[in-house]
Amino acid sequence: MKYCLITFRSVTPAQRGDSLLRKAGISCTLGRTPRPMEEQGCGYSLRLRPVDGARAAGILRQHQIPFRKVYLWSENNPPEEMLV
Amino acid sequence: MIYLDHGATSFPKPAPVAAAAARAMKTCANPGRGGHKPAMEAAKTVFACRERAGKMFDCEPEQVVFTSNCTHGLNIAIRTLVKPGDPVVISGFEHNAVVRPLYGLGGDIRVAGRRLFDPEDTIASFEKALQKGVKAAVFTHISNVFGYILPIDELSRLCREYEVPFVIDAAQSAGSVPVQLQKTGADFIAMPGHKGLLGPQGTGLLLCRRDPEPLLYGGTGSLSKSRKMPDFLPDRLEAGTVNVPGIAGLERGMALAQQKMAQSHAAAIRETVRCAEGLKKMGLRVFSGEGQSGTVSFVPEGDCEALAERLGKAGIAVRAGLHCAPLAHESAGTLQTGTVRVSYGHDAAPWQTEALLTQLKTFLRR
Repeated sequence: MKYCLITFRSVTPAQRGDSLLRKAGISCTLGRTPRPMEEQGCGYSLRLRPVDGARAAGILRQHQIPFRKVYLWSENNPPEEMLV
Repeated sequence: MIYLDHGATSFPKPAPVAAAAARAMKTCANPGRGGHKPAMEAAKTVFACRERAGKMFDCEPEQVVFTSNCTHGLNIAIRTLVKPGDPVVISGFEHNAVVRPLYGLGGDIRVAGRRLFDPEDTIASFEKALQKGVKAAVFTHISNVFGYILPIDELSRLCREYEVPFVIDAAQSAGSVPVQLQKTGADFIAMPGHKGLLGPQGTGLLLCRRDPEPLLYGGTGSLSKSRKMPDFLPDRLEAGTVNVPGIAGLERGMALAQQKMAQSHAAAIRETVRCAEGLKKMGLRVFSGEGQSGTVSFVPEGDCEALAERLGKAGIAVRAGLHCAPLAHESAGTLQTGTVRVSYGHDAAPWQTEALLTQLKTFLRR
């Protein structure tokens, strides 16, 4: 199953993102960033449906929540960066 | 026990505060240090407090940094803004939490406004000092010894006008009166979590409007490949594990404090006025005036400490001595004697004042 993964450098901005996306009706799950997408060590990410990826990124930008990248990912495949 | 020492810490803590702290010890691991359920529960607990503080103090959750007390936050703020030899203006009512870090840094400390309950003098003295060129200003919102509420809106406006970065010490005001980071434009506001905010001891908050210098270096659960501290908040100032049970309790305490803040503060002021009037009738030297919060100090005939001890034995808790604020005593002329301080909390009620005054009358008759 494919997911959209929005990565953050730390847990606090990820939590703010989580709170904002839920308020906007986007269902997401907060957790550690899987190794293939972790660049600087110990990041957190929000996992959501691929169809919500672009809208979610827009909401985060609008509220100036710093996120790193948006990926399309499934556990057995290499991640693909989504340009949103 | 009639507890009239809320200036030191709120006591006893409300039951929901203790329950939240106890629950956190059973359900929370280390926030930001893992993806398993107890780690995520800890992260959720900490974020809930950050978010509540952001709403209560007019800032974003990321601008809220957890500290171990108000002094910790003041040290971070002062060390960010002041370098050795820098001229700094402070009020005449500062606690050692401000004076000692500045002295330790070798700051050129300039005291402005030493008249109690005289906001016009405070404002004029600050303006004079700011005109002479200073690198920073630090001032308390409410004097911990005398309950004098400083005119922080005007002082903040002056600092902004003269483009002087400034720090507000909200040790005695947070949870009692509104404290707003964006509105004041303060660079930093430091506060304890365990006084007016009703949280456990060992908690504090630093609200940041500018990039700070870390006081502690270490793991933050973020950017772990880098040897440098993260350049973003709150991680930059939160090296090591934060006090999760304390923060869980603080979140509940803040919720309770916010609910009844206006009502409690009005009751504390009312009792302070009644207490001051009663003390004056006994012929004691009492420090009271316009713009006074829920704290009043007085000087008895004999030794302050001895009187506080007698009151303690009679089941009334007040504090005697210098209250860690010799500068404030210097300003008021009580450095040699110290004072007995009566400080009301969220539970301020007439029966507390009655009991104190009755007990004091008994002592004075003997």
